[in-house]
Amino acid sequence: MAERVSVTMDKQERDYVQHLFGKHVSWGQVRYLRCAHLDVYERARKGCTFSDAVSGERFYDCFSSAGCFNVGRGNSVIMDTLRDALDGYDMGSYGILSEAKVNFARKLVSLCPGDLNKVVLCATGADACAGAIKLAKGATGRNDVITMNKAYHGHEGFSLSANGKDYYKELFLPLMPGFHVVDFNDLEAVRRLAGPNIAAVVLEPVQGEGGIHVATKEYITGLRKICDEHGIMLIFDEVQTGFGRTGTLWAMEHYGVIPDIMFTAKSISGGLYPNGAVVYREVEPLVGYVEANPQFHTSHSGGTDLGCIVSSAVLDYLVENRVWENAAAVGKRFKEGLNEIWEANRDCVKEVRGLGLMIGIEYKYEFLGALMADCLARQGVWAAYSGNAPQVMRFQIPITASLDEVDDLLRRIRAAVKAMRWYLIPLLPLARVPLIRMILDNIHVQIIAFNLVRDVEEFVLGFLPKKQGVRS
Amino acid sequence: MKKTASKNAVRREDAFRDAAKVFSSSYVNMVQAKGHDFLEQGYTGSLVSDSEGNRLLDCYTSGAVFNLGRKNTAIIERFKRAIYETDQGNFVMPSQEKALLARRIAEFMPGNLDCVLFGVTRGESMDAACKLARGFTARPELITVDGGRYGESGFALSLTERPGKEQFGKLIQAVKVIPFGDVEAARSTIGNRTAAVVMEPVQAENHCRTADAGYYARVKALCESTGAKLVFDETQSGFGRTGTRFFFEQTGVQPDILIVGEAITSGMFPMTAMVFTPELKHFFDIHPLIHLCTFGGHDLGCLVAMTALDEYDRLEPWKNAARIGDRMVGELSALAEKNGSKIVSIAGKGLLLSIKLAAEDLARRFCAAARAGGLLVNIGETDRTTILIRPSLLISDEDATEIFNAITRTLEAV
Repeated sequence: MAERVSVTMDKQERDYVQHLFGKHVSWGQVRYLRCAHLDVYERARKGCTFSDAVSGERFYDCFSSAGCFNVGRGNSVIMDTLRDALDGYDMGSYGILSEAKVNFARKLVSLCPGDLNKVVLCATGADACAGAIKLAKGATGRNDVITMNKAYHGHEGFSLSANGKDYYKELFLPLMPGFHVVDFNDLEAVRRLAGPNIAAVVLEPVQGEGGIHVATKEYITGLRKICDEHGIMLIFDEVQTGFGRTGTLWAMEHYGVIPDIMFTAKSISGGLYPNGAVVYREVEPLVGYVEANPQFHTSHSGGTDLGCIVSSAVLDYLVENRVWENAAAVGKRFKEGLNEIWEANRDCVKEVRGLGLMIGIEYKYEFLGALMADCLARQGVWAAYSGNAPQVMRFQIPITASLDEVDDLLRRIRAAVKAMRWYLIPLLPLARVPLIRMILDNIHVQIIAFNLVRDVEEFVLGFLPKKQGVRS
Repeated sequence: MKKTASKNAVRREDAFRDAAKVFSSSYVNMVQAKGHDFLEQGYTGSLVSDSEGNRLLDCYTSGAVFNLGRKNTAIIERFKRAIYETDQGNFVMPSQEKALLARRIAEFMPGNLDCVLFGVTRGESMDAACKLARGFTARPELITVDGGRYGESGFALSLTERPGKEQFGKLIQAVKVIPFGDVEAARSTIGNRTAAVVMEPVQAENHCRTADAGYYARVKALCESTGAKLVFDETQSGFGRTGTRFFFEQTGVQPDILIVGEAITSGMFPMTAMVFTPELKHFFDIHPLIHLCTFGGHDLGCLVAMTALDEYDRLEPWKNAARIGDRMVGELSALAEKNGSKIVSIAGKGLLLSIKLAAEDLARRFCAAARAGGLLVNIGETDRTTILIRPSLLISDEDATEIFNAITRTLEAV
């Protein structure tokens, strides 16, 4: 019984699941997601959609667990691979070699540009981030690291120290000294700090949680030059941007720049089995350091046999289907559509930006993040705003999406924006008053207000006849 | 037959050459020096096979992960079905899978460790524990004991005693290390700036070092009187390994936060967890999504873990671990007496046992010779003169005899 997962849930069962989650994990999380209508219980995952266990409605997955589903959800090739692998494998023994581990590592480096030929197997993006920073610190013998404002690399100690938003750090101080946060795309700021004490510059070529900020070509080439001049390790976080998301297999290809160290995770798992990796250049001082310290970063949960078998299948699938080309073509259409929406809504939308199928819309007000998520959910679009920039709605659908699906998605987004504009009639004038805007932007106020609206809505709907059929 | 064997040997050599190229040659050399110069290929129950078809008794279990043996049938059956029912899920969302596993863990845990935050690596769960303690108490100081090992992530590494740590520069600040088992040091250090006191109640990699029974209670009392939180890491000692569900039951002291390792799925899925009391959950109630992990609480992993917990309850492997462990401690102690020049001491509980040898080189040679004799063991990561014996908790008496005989033969050979 304990392992049973319902295909569908009625509201009573949903309330019980929420009760369990609230009791054992976090009530705050339940309320927070409910306020933005993000409390959907996923079932029937297929391609770039899933259905809600309660309403049966189908949603476009515009979050993709922050970019984990590049092979599409419910990909039968990857699922069958994992099923078959279970006949012969488990996690495997940490520290003992297997063909699964070696084959995956070889396959991974064969797809990496330049001399990115060496691998450290890891379990998650944060684990890989820790490995990358340790590698840079160890190899250079230096302590300090330059990281970016609004950057997001994970929540363990190294990646948290490199995080570019104080909210995630300030309750857990003191962290690691020597992390310098500079503005993204500000080359002069890096140049001012660069010196013999700096081990690494760490950045996401396209900031995900930071609100889909794309690094300029001048910035990335400039960083490469500064790092070369000062013996600093350039580290790219390709956890979200890798595996075709931005329209090339790696985001670094847009810039023609090879970092010294790159780390990745998320989509390497096929959305089924955790895995991650640090990839580094076959150059000194990196190679010499690892040769002298082969266990500088160990990860018992990383590079497992099952994980490596799944990840190898993911790489094969991506290459065989040239999925990044689809991301580029479909992303172009999607961005054009979002730009049209921006043109028509310049009073509340500030900008549309992104690469491939990693696209964000920035609103002019922070409180619009939760409001727009709610309006989108009502149109069958599940989208989450950026963790480090709530005014930015991220659209990261699985990159296997078709042009037809993106056209349908755009139609729904347009309808959601239209609905949101009704709320804006009273809210926009109010938001011009600084104090009221501060209240509207406060997440705790949003949680209370939107949950109240949901409560009233559910109460009223309880008296109406039940909807027949399922909206597709 | 001969042809197959030589073909497999070529495959192995190719794989090792590729591994040297893509990982590092020193890593490959290190593995080979320990006698682990084989490709793991196929495993079942208490056995693991190498690429040449030789069967080894698995007394490594990837660091006390495969508690229910390799490839438990019930877990695999459920896993296969679950692949077609769910996937990772969008990690920020509550899900039925996460909620049911959270309830299942609360049922499984002794005491009132009713709340959970899911992780993937041991280190990440330890980092979450340190953050929770700091966040909840609004205090900075983390106190740990010497000889501990908690993982390779930022907080965990800062608390860990291991060579080479200084290469990574300044780590997490406000960390103090006190001698394990020293009540006086604990009394003079734990105070009203202390957020947490962190320890493994059994330091598996450090010759299964434990403290006197009274030590844990004194530390707990000091935590209670100062408002600090007690964190136990039972990554290796949990899930029946030492003869009870968790080792802390034997100490009579329940921690405020417990780290559990990959044994939660018996090594079928990378999952760890931080389990804690309802009092502490208040912090996550008022700070939702303050600590995230994309693969943590993986919906598919949750279904695998639930089945593993059902299997733990059905099989109660801690009973077998206690019984066979007692027997093995007796036999190994007698062996140690007879081989005083090679064995310094035997330590451990249940099926988490450690043989301390006279020198590091001897431990390395023992490890290699054991493999040649059909036994897969590994060297302690902290005390590198030790050999850890941590087989499946479901081994039979015959397996135990075979393990003991292999150890005896290996000892003669080195």
